Amino acid sequence: MVYLVVLGFYIAFVIWASLKSLKQAESMSDFTTGGHRMGLMLGIGTTTATWVSVASVMGVPGYLYSNGVSAIIGWVAGWFLATALFPIVAYKIRRPKTPARTFPEYIHLRFEPFRRISHLRTIVGAVMFIGYFLFVHLQVVGFGIVFSTITNIQYEYAIFAFLIFLLFTSIGGFWSVAATDTLNTTLIVIGVILGGASVLAATGGLGNIIDTMSSTTSPTNIGGDAIPEGSMISPVGTFGLGALFAIFMSNAVGSIVSPHWVTRMLAPKNIKVAILQIMGSLLVLTAIFIPLIIMGLGAKTLMPSLPADRTTDYIIPLIVQEYSPPLFGALTLVALCAAAVSSANSMLLHCATSIYYDVYLNIFSEKKITEKKFNMNLRIGMFVIAVIAVVSAITPPWFLAMGFTYVYGGFGAVFFAVVILGLYWKRMNRAAAYVSMLVGLFAYIAAQFASATNPFLIALGASLVGVFMVVFFTPKPPVEAYEPYFKADVSQSTQETFYHIQKNETDQSVVSDEEKLARKDA
Amino acid sequence: MVIALMTWFVTIIFGLLLGTYLCFRLEKHGVKRWGATGKLFHYNPKGEE
Repeated sequence: MVYLVVLGFYIAFVIWASLKSLKQAESMSDFTTGGHRMGLMLGIGTTTATWVSVASVMGVPGYLYSNGVSAIIGWVAGWFLATALFPIVAYKIRRPKTPARTFPEYIHLRFEPFRRISHLRTIVGAVMFIGYFLFVHLQVVGFGIVFSTITNIQYEYAIFAFLIFLLFTSIGGFWSVAATDTLNTTLIVIGVILGGASVLAATGGLGNIIDTMSSTTSPTNIGGDAIPEGSMISPVGTFGLGALFAIFMSNAVGSIVSPHWVTRMLAPKNIKVAILQIMGSLLVLTAIFIPLIIMGLGAKTLMPSLPADRTTDYIIPLIVQEYSPPLFGALTLVALCAAAVSSANSMLLHCATSIYYDVYLNIFSEKKITEKKFNMNLRIGMFVIAVIAVVSAITPPWFLAMGFTYVYGGFGAVFFAVVILGLYWKRMNRAAAYVSMLVGLFAYIAAQFASATNPFLIALGASLVGVFMVVFFTPKPPVEAYEPYFKADVSQSTQETFYHIQKNETDQSVVSDEEKLARKDA
Repeated sequence: MVIALMTWFVTIIFGLLLGTYLCFRLEKHGVKRWGATGKLFHYNPKGEE
């Protein structure tokens, strides 16, 4: 009963916060990046909430439970390294006076500034759509596990409740996502600290947890194979050095250039706020991960093996229900829901924006729609995608944390060169951008199918080789393409090029309501 | 276990140091639009140019 009451309060608050923030989303830029005016505190809240997903709060403790401390290196340290490196993206991408509003728009501005229809932008939008659809799908799976645990509704039906959260937290666009994210961050911090304290108390302290990890051979699932003694305390665990390094690199390098993180760096008021936002988030995330690590490792002491029909993603909901006082348990499980909601709404926004704004409106740029209509179409798109993601989650194919690693690896292979080289190397040009993305994408898919140990590094290597083979044999990029990322004051022609892409050409399909009335009068 | 935890803590420290260095570079550029205020960790809440 306590669980349901706490969940009820959470739902009510999310709906209230979402409806309140609806008023703030007026323009298209507001809807996608918050109008580039986000402050520090809201920035820390929304960055942390987006960062902490079901992969963090359920997937990672699941791997800690089954593989021990090696999961700290593979996932926790990998993602923290990526976070540590986000400021190098913010330092450059937020420099232009009128920054890009979406990640594909940055690609258009940087590599095809004189093209009305950017095919590169279309490819990026399509890759993003697939990646973010998979991310939303994974959040639905995580939410379904927690929601079914709280309500005792069967998982297959529980996942449909996620639609309510997704719709309310996404309808106002970026501001709606940011407002509910700050609440979600607070809940996540409180929930995991209470959960961690409960597990610590139930196990009898850190000494007992370490003793169990050193000596246990209990299989992960009842009836499964025994794990090697000492493997849970080993830094490489049962993964092996090669596989663990591959996971670490995918999570670290792949995350830096993931479009949703690049977009996050565009939202703050200026570069300083973007950098401070990441530094603040690092500290909040540390406070979240200490209890999560205690919960994941401590679970092995409390529940040596999981029931045969449960994956490791279920470990936190199971031990919290069993070993926490009802109010603590309820707050911890609501924190897990908050983690799923806060990541899914942001990723749903990216998924819909990429397919509608960057693919559809880029191809059919002659279409004329008002900003109001644009926002409405985006909301409809989000609803349709959310429904498909929920239906696809009825039979989940992957473990949560590993699913994230696959997608981050793909993003890293495809986008590393266009983001990092694009921002820091003037010579990076259009041809190299095409080659790096296409070679990276196909090499990653091929390496995955060939079951290579490190598909991400193979694909990244192939992509970079492609760049260096092409870039010196093709024309230098025009100054208008790179100038805003290297100079504070840009030339008149660069200003005009930015203006044409953002206001007159590609974006001429999205006109303000006042503009439309003026045209009608004329 | 110590190695795993140390790897994690090193990434946190690295992140804080890198952020500080970039704030320092930003102040050195002195471009107000980018967020330079004259103080390393100070930002203008109004975001004025």
